[in-house]
Amino acid sequence: MAELTSKERVLRLLRKEPIDTMPFFSGMGMVVMPGIKEGGFNFATVHTDPERMAWSAIHSARLMGMDSVVIPYDMTMESEAMGNTISLYEDSEDILYPTIPNKIWSTLDEVVVPDKIWEKGRLPIIPKAIKIIKENAPELPIGCWQLGPFTQAGQILELDLMLKGVFKQKEKVAEVLDKLTDMIIDIGKHLQASGCDYITLREPGVAADLLSPRTFKEFIKPRLTRILDAWQSPKLLHICGQTEPLLPMMAECGADGITVDIKCDVRKGREILGPDVLFMGNLDTYKMTCDPETPKQVAIDHVKDIIDGGMDAVMPGCDLWPDIIEANMKACVDTAHEYGKKPSPAVGRL
Amino acid sequence: MASKEEFQEQMKNGVVEYEEDTVREAAQGWLDGGYDPLEGIMDGLAAGMEIVGELYDKNEYFVPEVLMCADALYAGLAILRPHVPKKEDGINAQVVIGSIQGDVHDIGKNLVKMMFDVAGWDVHDLGRDVPLEKFVEEQLRTDSEVVAMSAMMTTTMLGMKKVIKMIKEKNPNVAIMLGGAPVTKDVANLFGADGYAESAGNAVSEGIKMIARLREMRNK
Repeated sequence: MAELTSKERVLRLLRKEPIDTMPFFSGMGMVVMPGIKEGGFNFATVHTDPERMAWSAIHSARLMGMDSVVIPYDMTMESEAMGNTISLYEDSEDILYPTIPNKIWSTLDEVVVPDKIWEKGRLPIIPKAIKIIKENAPELPIGCWQLGPFTQAGQILELDLMLKGVFKQKEKVAEVLDKLTDMIIDIGKHLQASGCDYITLREPGVAADLLSPRTFKEFIKPRLTRILDAWQSPKLLHICGQTEPLLPMMAECGADGITVDIKCDVRKGREILGPDVLFMGNLDTYKMTCDPETPKQVAIDHVKDIIDGGMDAVMPGCDLWPDIIEANMKACVDTAHEYGKKPSPAVGRL
Repeated sequence: MASKEEFQEQMKNGVVEYEEDTVREAAQGWLDGGYDPLEGIMDGLAAGMEIVGELYDKNEYFVPEVLMCADALYAGLAILRPHVPKKEDGINAQVVIGSIQGDVHDIGKNLVKMMFDVAGWDVHDLGRDVPLEKFVEEQLRTDSEVVAMSAMMTTTMLGMKKVIKMIKEKNPNVAIMLGGAPVTKDVANLFGADGYAESAGNAVSEGIKMIARLREMRNK
């Protein structure tokens, strides 16, 4: 049986169809420094130029043997398109993602989402980068993502306004979340129309160590469901932090797959979800891929343990931190490919 | 007029029930009654926060509730703190605190700061998105005993390692606390930090436990 391309492998997995071996891919950023350097770029410039974004993604995937490219890399595009100014840290020697240091709105009442937001700020870069990737790396599936409404609210307002508002200004919080939900649906549809192959809704700001499962059920779940209902498949839902109490509700939101980070115990998570739910995670994106003190064998054992624990794909639990230890990163990818030849709970093998 | 015990209970329960007005009135009543303001902070406000910590650990309270309880605590602190005499030698313990460059979230940082405010430390709050060298400069300028840093995102936490190295080189006796969602205990150990709060959540828990320890020490 001929080997599948990365794109076939990932898309078949997302449909829960049999595959040749486990892909190593992500729903979140997976750009790494070797890929950025291969293109001759520096980190601050890959967020603002479609060519650089596309090629840093392609080089990263190819050099490490990863099965997808994921764009964009930073969480500020929508906030910027709504009128906020980003900080790119162009003078810093460190790897710093763009942020919004000061927000234009200071109350829940002020939030306005502009019409055709995908035409504003840097958002038009994404479809351009998708086109470049499709032309130059047809073997790689392209993942895009959107922050969930609660986490996105933290990019346009002070997060404590939203957190306290959950009690003190319920209606206003609901109103802001609804506006952002509509925006996320629109941008997601636009990305899908532009050719992204799968999309991830990531809502890290609502983990069970921050918000109560009750609040999740009341405020978050209905909106995540509305977004996922409006998007085409394949579509994933990612929440990081403490997710075990949320997993049953996450499974009801309408995603084709659930992804989590290291704070979720793989075996417990699988037990909660049962064997049929496509469940992915929870590679430690600092200790295993970046920490120079972690021996390669420890990273290999970590990946094997994730597979043995019942994940359908070993997926970084967060954006890959770009400054990877190459040997460990490659070992993680190779181990997923080699050790993942056996069927996983939700996905068979060819 | 309510009794001393009644004011104390009102402050404590007001913090737990996040009722800022109740706390404010009780704190004023406490002062007007001529009671020791530090005792009011510790056995009223901080005692309330200790209960909040227990509720948080039991998953009855979450971060929104804790933030509101903190507001209530600060409402009382604003009234009582100015009346606590400075130490006789004029030197109070000092801490430099901030969220590291690239991180514009400061909830975890503010909760840890609350612990130092309750304890009556001089807090040098650098805010958020703070360039690494600023921590070092401020520590040297103030000769603070503790530097507390937070990073909510994996993508910013690595900067902490550099700051720790820079500070330890210049002043090995400074205690360094790390906190923030992605910083695990292993990472804190690797970085050579002295204290650690695992997440905004654990910052709540750890910060409050430190308040509890302060109260224990005071009662000895």
